[in-house]
Amino acid sequence: MDTKLTAIQTIQGEFTLDLKQVTSLAQVDLLSTRYLGKHGQINTLFKTLPIKSDPQTGRKINDLKSVIETKITEKINQFLSLPTSTTFDVTTPGTPTPLGSLHLITQAIEEIENIFLSQGFVRRRYPEVETDWYYAEGLNIPPDHPARDDQETFFIDQDIVLTAHTSNGQLHEMELKKAPPIKMINIGKTYRRQIDASHTPMFHQFEGLVVDKDINITHLLGITEFFAKSYFGSDRRTRLRPHHFQFTEPSFEIDVSCGLCNGTGLIAKNACKICKSGWLELGGAGMVHPQVLKNGGLNPDQCTGFAFGWGVERVLMMKTQLPDLRLVYSDDIRFLKQF
Amino acid sequence: MDIILTDRSLRKFLETSASAQEIAQKVSLCGPTFDGFHEVDGDFIYKIEAITNRVDSASAQGVAREAAAILTQFKIPAQLINDPYQDKIKFPLGLPQPFHFNFDQNLVVRFAAISLENISIKPSPLATQKFLENCGQKPLNNCIDITNELTILYGLPSHIFDLDKLATQNLTIRESRPGEVVITLDHQVNQLSGGDLVIEDTSGRLIDLCGIMGGEVAMVDDHTKSLLLIVPVYHPAKIRHSSLYLQKRTLAAQIYEKGPDPELCLAVMSKAIQLIKERAGGEISSSLLDYYPSPYKPKSVSLDFNWLNHFIGIDIDNKTVISILESLGFSVDASATQLSCLVPSWRYHDINLKEDLAEEVARIYGYYRLPSLIPTVTVQPEPKNLLLETELKIKKYLACHGLYEVYNSSLISQSLIDRTLQSSAQNLKLQNALSLDYQYLRHSLIPSSLENHKHNQGKVSGLIKTFEVAHTYQKVVSSQLPHELPTLAILCEGNFLDYKGLLETLLTFLQVRKIDFEPAQNPPPYFDPASTATVTSDGLLLGYLGLPKKLVLRNIGLESSPTAIEINLENLVSKINSHPIYEPVSEYPNLLEDITIKSKYLLGDIIKIIKNTSDLIKEVQYLGSYQQNHSFRVSFGSHQKNLQQSEVNTLKKSIQQVFQT
Repeated sequence: MDTKLTAIQTIQGEFTLDLKQVTSLAQVDLLSTRYLGKHGQINTLFKTLPIKSDPQTGRKINDLKSVIETKITEKINQFLSLPTSTTFDVTTPGTPTPLGSLHLITQAIEEIENIFLSQGFVRRRYPEVETDWYYAEGLNIPPDHPARDDQETFFIDQDIVLTAHTSNGQLHEMELKKAPPIKMINIGKTYRRQIDASHTPMFHQFEGLVVDKDINITHLLGITEFFAKSYFGSDRRTRLRPHHFQFTEPSFEIDVSCGLCNGTGLIAKNACKICKSGWLELGGAGMVHPQVLKNGGLNPDQCTGFAFGWGVERVLMMKTQLPDLRLVYSDDIRFLKQF
Repeated sequence: MDIILTDRSLRKFLETSASAQEIAQKVSLCGPTFDGFHEVDGDFIYKIEAITNRVDSASAQGVAREAAAILTQFKIPAQLINDPYQDKIKFPLGLPQPFHFNFDQNLVVRFAAISLENISIKPSPLATQKFLENCGQKPLNNCIDITNELTILYGLPSHIFDLDKLATQNLTIRESRPGEVVITLDHQVNQLSGGDLVIEDTSGRLIDLCGIMGGEVAMVDDHTKSLLLIVPVYHPAKIRHSSLYLQKRTLAAQIYEKGPDPELCLAVMSKAIQLIKERAGGEISSSLLDYYPSPYKPKSVSLDFNWLNHFIGIDIDNKTVISILESLGFSVDASATQLSCLVPSWRYHDINLKEDLAEEVARIYGYYRLPSLIPTVTVQPEPKNLLLETELKIKKYLACHGLYEVYNSSLISQSLIDRTLQSSAQNLKLQNALSLDYQYLRHSLIPSSLENHKHNQGKVSGLIKTFEVAHTYQKVVSSQLPHELPTLAILCEGNFLDYKGLLETLLTFLQVRKIDFEPAQNPPPYFDPASTATVTSDGLLLGYLGLPKKLVLRNIGLESSPTAIEINLENLVSKINSHPIYEPVSEYPNLLEDITIKSKYLLGDIIKIIKNTSDLIKEVQYLGSYQQNHSFRVSFGSHQKNLQQSEVNTLKKSIQQVFQT
């Protein structure tokens, strides 16, 4: 008998014996290496064949190889399907990783910022402590105007204030860009001399400004609606009402339909508690006053623009229905960890 | 400005089939906002917010004009009736004037006066009383009620004096002098600051706090027989100043401070006379005084149709544009391409530009009819804002490592500055602080953080760990404006080294390189210099890490001793390596060897010395110390080859040698 054939039978016999004796997955892996590995028995046998051997012997070795492969795979599966000896109680509490929280305002600002970034706005941050020019006079509020002597502004001295709005960013942005197009969102801290359930002396506003050739009122409506639907939900509607600000002409008050009563003003035939006949005030907006464009160094005959300034806390409260704005500024960790 | 009207009073000027609800809904969309309405005894009461620059709409007549124009666009039949501007007014001629007024310059826009006699004072008719009550006013007597009623109907206040109580040969309208006193109809004694408009009679008494409230001296009472009736329009800023200063926010003051239309004076006077005759049986006893130094001159504003359509964003046909403007009282002269609009007297102050006319057209046409379009603006790409990006990264990193983010007010108290041993000379101070709690802009965030911990003391299980990212306000010598410095503050209870580690890892995560900690020579005053380090990156000071002084903790009332970190984020961001360069990873494994060094040096210095011994030393890990013996695990490695044990041994010897010398 051909020695090769004898060798094939011997290997087969040894393998059968070896396979019977394995008791673990690791031993199967060893077996696999011993027979099928790069320097394993099968490969060694192949190497002993002359270069142009008889194809018949070669085929027999290959048959043996596939038998071994099949048996090893079977054995592996057999081990893998064995039940684990120790059952693990998966309901044991996990080891917690320390977790803090991002403040509500940070979360709201990130959300607002992302909505406007998706529309190609660039995020800015302009001064909170400001000169009279950027805060008032440059925004078309002359020195003797009633908007000046409102009791809401904090003064450092006669010419320096803490901004009660983010509109000072309008002039800064015009000066920075020097020419249209402008498309920015200025988010920052603002200050007013008020404190009650819906006012804190410090709060945050976001100010949008878009200036280009042929910007018109429909564009203000478009961006407003895009924001309201993105932030509050796609079922919300917006509307403009006439208003007056010195730095926009025309000026608007923007309302968003109430989410609680679905804009009907009624909950089970009673007046909705959080809105005025179905609408919630979002804030002011308008077409940039030509004098403001001039003050920012732009030519109002060649470009138009719109602007809006809305409160971060305001939209946050409209969305979360927090009962008292002062809560937002609580430092109680039991409150903070809820968000 | 908020006003209250009844549906009946509105319909004196408005003929329409619209219901009260329809009026409220539709007019709110295009004109003054109706904040609500409710029914009382078969009438409706409206609360209306007139837009601040539209004092002409703060009356029944004014709202009616708006409503007629607006409802028409909603295809609801509506028209303005009893328009006072259409009245033909006559006053008797040839009567004497039993009074004489002197006017100081630039105080009065127009001043109409007339006297009446044979008055009999009694209560107003019930309907008038009811009307005033519904509008939130108190009925007094038939004559006073007339002036109040007309203010609500026409938006122009008037006033009556008891003529017999006045010395009328010389009535002077002038500015008050500081310290003068006027007693008003509400029996209050008003100490004037100077510059308030007052009327002084011949005997030197102040008989009127002009435009705000009449003087008690000449009050009309049950015995009054003759009246002096005035319908004035004053300089708005003067009235506003006095009204705010004296905290007398009467309806008259709110109207006068917004510059009502002087062209309405005679119509209102004529209505008042007519009603006084009807209700109090009076007779005119003088000719009319009408002081009107610079009478209204009509002005016109032009508007290009094409520009208008571009500005609004849709095409509104010329006819509609013209009819809207006419319905608001503009006289329009139109060509094919543009309009010339004569501005009505009651819109003299608020209509100046083509944009103002565009607003009138767009709002009456209806903003709700405009489409919402996203503008196509071709913006240039901008470099990314590394500061804003880093702030958010830091916040998220810390929140994910167990710290709670806090937002504190930028405004703090003198007391907090004192308790944290700072000097308020460094802080910007408000001139008109709301209270002592909010008086200074923060120069540092740590004091607020310490208070945050105090507030949470005993309330939470586990360690209190907080952080804040906010501006601090640094005075700048050469500027009135402060430097608004983005700052990070971390305050955590627990092991100091844990938070030093947290900061080191955070800085590494942010790609801030060459971080070093050195004992701080001059830390901010709330830090204990004995246990505070400067944090630097490549020699630039980023901030401080350390323990607050015991005195500060005691002043705040904190029982624990938390670790404080305060970082200048501008400096931090300037050290961010935003384009890290690829370094090939060594194919050869590092060898780890423990080594014990005996030295008096600071640990940080020892580690630096070990690292500087050879390029083959890759990392030095501190294991622990016993007295002056410090153990480290040093990893040795090379990019070129496998290091031999003998080479490592030589390196270890040379390390030891450095410390022996």
